[in-house]
Amino acid sequence: MNRLSSAARRAIFAPLDTEARVEAVVRRLGDAITLGLLTDGEQLPGESDLAERLGVSTVSLREALMALRQQGLVTTRRGRGGGTFVRAPVEDLHDRLRQRLKAHTTEELRDLSDHYAAVAGAAARLAADRADKHDLEAPSRSLRDFADAVDAAARGRIDGRFHVEIVAAAQSSRLTREEIRFQTEIGPLLCLPFTQARIHRTADAQHRALFDAITAGDGLQARTLAEEHVRNAVRHLIELRLDETWQEH
Amino acid sequence: MARALSSDGDTVAEAVVRVSGMLESVFTTVQQTCEQTTTLLAHISVRGRRPTSADLAQLQPLLREQLAHDAKLISGTGFIAEPGLLSDVPAWLEWWQTRADGKVRPMLLDLDPDTSAFSDYTHWDWFALPRTTGQRAVSGPYVDYLCSDEYSLTLAAPVVMDGVFAGVAAADVYLRHFEAAVGPALRRIESPAFLVNPRGRVTASNTATQLAGSLVRDLDSAAARGEVVLHPCGAIPLVLVTAA
Repeated sequence: MNRLSSAARRAIFAPLDTEARVEAVVRRLGDAITLGLLTDGEQLPGESDLAERLGVSTVSLREALMALRQQGLVTTRRGRGGGTFVRAPVEDLHDRLRQRLKAHTTEELRDLSDHYAAVAGAAARLAADRADKHDLEAPSRSLRDFADAVDAAARGRIDGRFHVEIVAAAQSSRLTREEIRFQTEIGPLLCLPFTQARIHRTADAQHRALFDAITAGDGLQARTLAEEHVRNAVRHLIELRLDETWQEH
Repeated sequence: MARALSSDGDTVAEAVVRVSGMLESVFTTVQQTCEQTTTLLAHISVRGRRPTSADLAQLQPLLREQLAHDAKLISGTGFIAEPGLLSDVPAWLEWWQTRADGKVRPMLLDLDPDTSAFSDYTHWDWFALPRTTGQRAVSGPYVDYLCSDEYSLTLAAPVVMDGVFAGVAAADVYLRHFEAAVGPALRRIESPAFLVNPRGRVTASNTATQLAGSLVRDLDSAAARGEVVLHPCGAIPLVLVTAA
């Protein structure tokens, strides 16, 4: 029998939890980079700080960073001014997002749509009840910015901002945190269809109708419109996911 | 009956004193930040240059001390610069907060308008109100998705240098901490009573029918009709509402 190398023995007898943690860190940071939440050239916090924030050992963190380096998502520079930096060239963003979309099954996307619609609908109803005109100044500004935005990335950013502002106007920190979680989970994917002017215009019209229902204090209408808006947005994503022409690439 | 009865008039007056006293103490903290920031900016101005974000780091010991001193009430504190004040960055918050794990950390925000959806903080009430009115302000309760994701009150005051607005000094009070601090005084009032901000938003209450976060419309008309009584909290812009 061949004796196992010492490295292999270490790997076999390493606590399983550690491996899961390394993978979780790779997925979390990898997704954040792919989704553009961590941007190209951005410096990650120092190893000990980052390990502490993520609640993993520095050993696990180093393993995760090594995996991310192999995937070309981060680079490490030594010496003065050194550190770990995000590598996510903007020109690759679209392809990376499409790869990221492929990682979701249509069943997952449908399930996510149901959950997101439930949160967005509940928030819209509460906002209609609780928001005054001052609370609606921020989403009103975002409404104008969204209509004026010309590229998909800006449209996506402002769309996310608009929705967080609406949920905040509902006076619910839990629902706001949920909304932010959806934004970090699929927000940048939702902006993929915004390359199409027609989809941008439809979303703009839906935002306005939702905003008007909230302003009018019509909670039921606001809830219905918010649910439809989410379902509509995810439907575009599912159509992209099913589109075989780009799956081959 | 042996039941100790206190008239509602006394308990209402006590609650008003409790609320205004506590928030005045937070404003004292804000005032400290204001004064130290003004001194710091004046020193830099004398040397004939514009301040940088690194200069503002000199506020750190004071801000840490404030968080340690009033940990039960103040969760975040600092100075927020008027965009354009600093020479090295377009915008800056020298903001320190106590995290859920009890550690004190600086708030590091993405303030790049090209990548951040939330880079412009000048529209937030805690910044806009002191800037436009020149007065201190209590903003909230509001969901603070910029800094803490918590339901909060922010107490803020303008920092003015040679007559020019330089930014605001501020402190955050989580609503749950505020509620814990004023709740007992409110509960001693036997009739339904709640605090509202100038916009009619409930900040704390002794009744489940009127909870924090809900909006009470047309309070002034209700008071004029004699349905409720409004009790101002001294110079603090909150009003205690009691049943008539």
